[in-house]
Amino acid sequence: MEAVLELFKNFQFLLIGAWETLKLTAFSVGIGLILGTFIGMGRLSKIKLINYPCTAYVEFLRGTPLLVQISIIYFGLPQLGIQLAPYPAAITALGLNSGAYIAEIVRAGIQSIPKGQYEAARSLGLTHWQSMRYVILPQAFRNILPALGNEFITLTKDSSLASVIGVSELMRAGQFVISRTFQTFSIYFGIAFIYFVMTFVISRLVRYVERRMATA
Amino acid sequence: MNDKDGNEIIIKIEDLVKKFGKLEVLKGVNMQVRRQETIVIIGPSGGGKSTLLRCINKLEHYQGGKIYLDGKDIDEYDVNQLRTRIGMVFQQFNLFPHMNVLQNLTLAPIKVKKIQEKEAVEKAKYLLNKVGLIDKIDAYPEQLSGGQKQRVAIARALMMDPEIMLFDEPTSALDPELVGEVLDVMKDLANSGMTMLVVTHEMGFAKEVADRIVFISNGVIEEEGKPEEILKNPQKPRTREFLRRIL
Repeated sequence: MEAVLELFKNFQFLLIGAWETLKLTAFSVGIGLILGTFIGMGRLSKIKLINYPCTAYVEFLRGTPLLVQISIIYFGLPQLGIQLAPYPAAITALGLNSGAYIAEIVRAGIQSIPKGQYEAARSLGLTHWQSMRYVILPQAFRNILPALGNEFITLTKDSSLASVIGVSELMRAGQFVISRTFQTFSIYFGIAFIYFVMTFVISRLVRYVERRMATA
Repeated sequence: MNDKDGNEIIIKIEDLVKKFGKLEVLKGVNMQVRRQETIVIIGPSGGGKSTLLRCINKLEHYQGGKIYLDGKDIDEYDVNQLRTRIGMVFQQFNLFPHMNVLQNLTLAPIKVKKIQEKEAVEKAKYLLNKVGLIDKIDAYPEQLSGGQKQRVAIARALMMDPEIMLFDEPTSALDPELVGEVLDVMKDLANSGMTMLVVTHEMGFAKEVADRIVFISNGVIEEEGKPEEILKNPQKPRTREFLRRIL
């Protein structure tokens, strides 16, 4: 009973953490989207000087744990003279990480568009960039919306790792409550519940947008 | 640049060689296109017809030979500039499915030629009228029949005021009853004085509209001449055999 009571008493505090989680995730996805779009296009470039670094980027960031990446940026970079506060460090790490995953999604999205679309655009005199911007990417993004939604959900959950460098997001807020109340089960369960509500709402939102775009 | 009869040569192709890896698709093609001429290119599939068209607007890189537009090597033109002068119509239409008909038509003129949107819309309406699809101006490609799609694609290419139009099997993906409406638009275009290069299997169209028929097989021009000469009295065995099979 006391456990439930403590959860309710501290629920508002957890919600503040949840709000921070959402902001952290949104910023990171924003960075990831921009980064991923360019790297995804770069992965398809015939120019080796563009293609190879983009491929290396994707492979490296997907092949190493996010926790290690966060640690490198927050604990490692200061040794090279680059000191980031916890929040910017977390956004950087999560953004760079999701950039790699989104790059693969974008690459697949571009490849899903028939070659004739690009050729038609180019045959009208549009440049490579104009063809991408007005013809290929709008169609590609429509196709990859579900995959991007998944990435958003994954990142919402992964952002909990930012707690290890002291970002006061949901996980960290929960740990703080536990350190005062010692109610490990109910608080962790409360945290899980809030994460679930967030990811559930996001997945419904994505599905809604998807349906609207399908009929548009 | 003029030929011996004083006709203006708009395109000249010299010893064109195109390879896909080790496979030689064009093995030294020589050809001249006069302004306002309609040339129909025929030949067995895999013979290099489409590839030849695609080399002219540089959708394909070629390994040997030269192509001249107005006497100047096409490599010396800015590639996007070159393409605005050469319109292309594809077998699969390739309309942009996320844009309506009007947007399909106005995108390139606005972005490439930088003309005002209002002017582009006027022009689009004029051309849609010409191809008989003004009532489809707000429709999306998926709402159109194949024949309508292809007519929109022709109008889209004409928006750039090209001097030459390339047609790569424009009716091959159409249901038989929809072929006529597309050919009619092409006929009007040819009669209006457009220079046209048409890869097609429509022999009726070739007979009626073409100034010249070019027969390409195995990467070379096997035979060329006036439609009546080629269709009625082909000289080469390959041409004879091909025509016997499709007529």
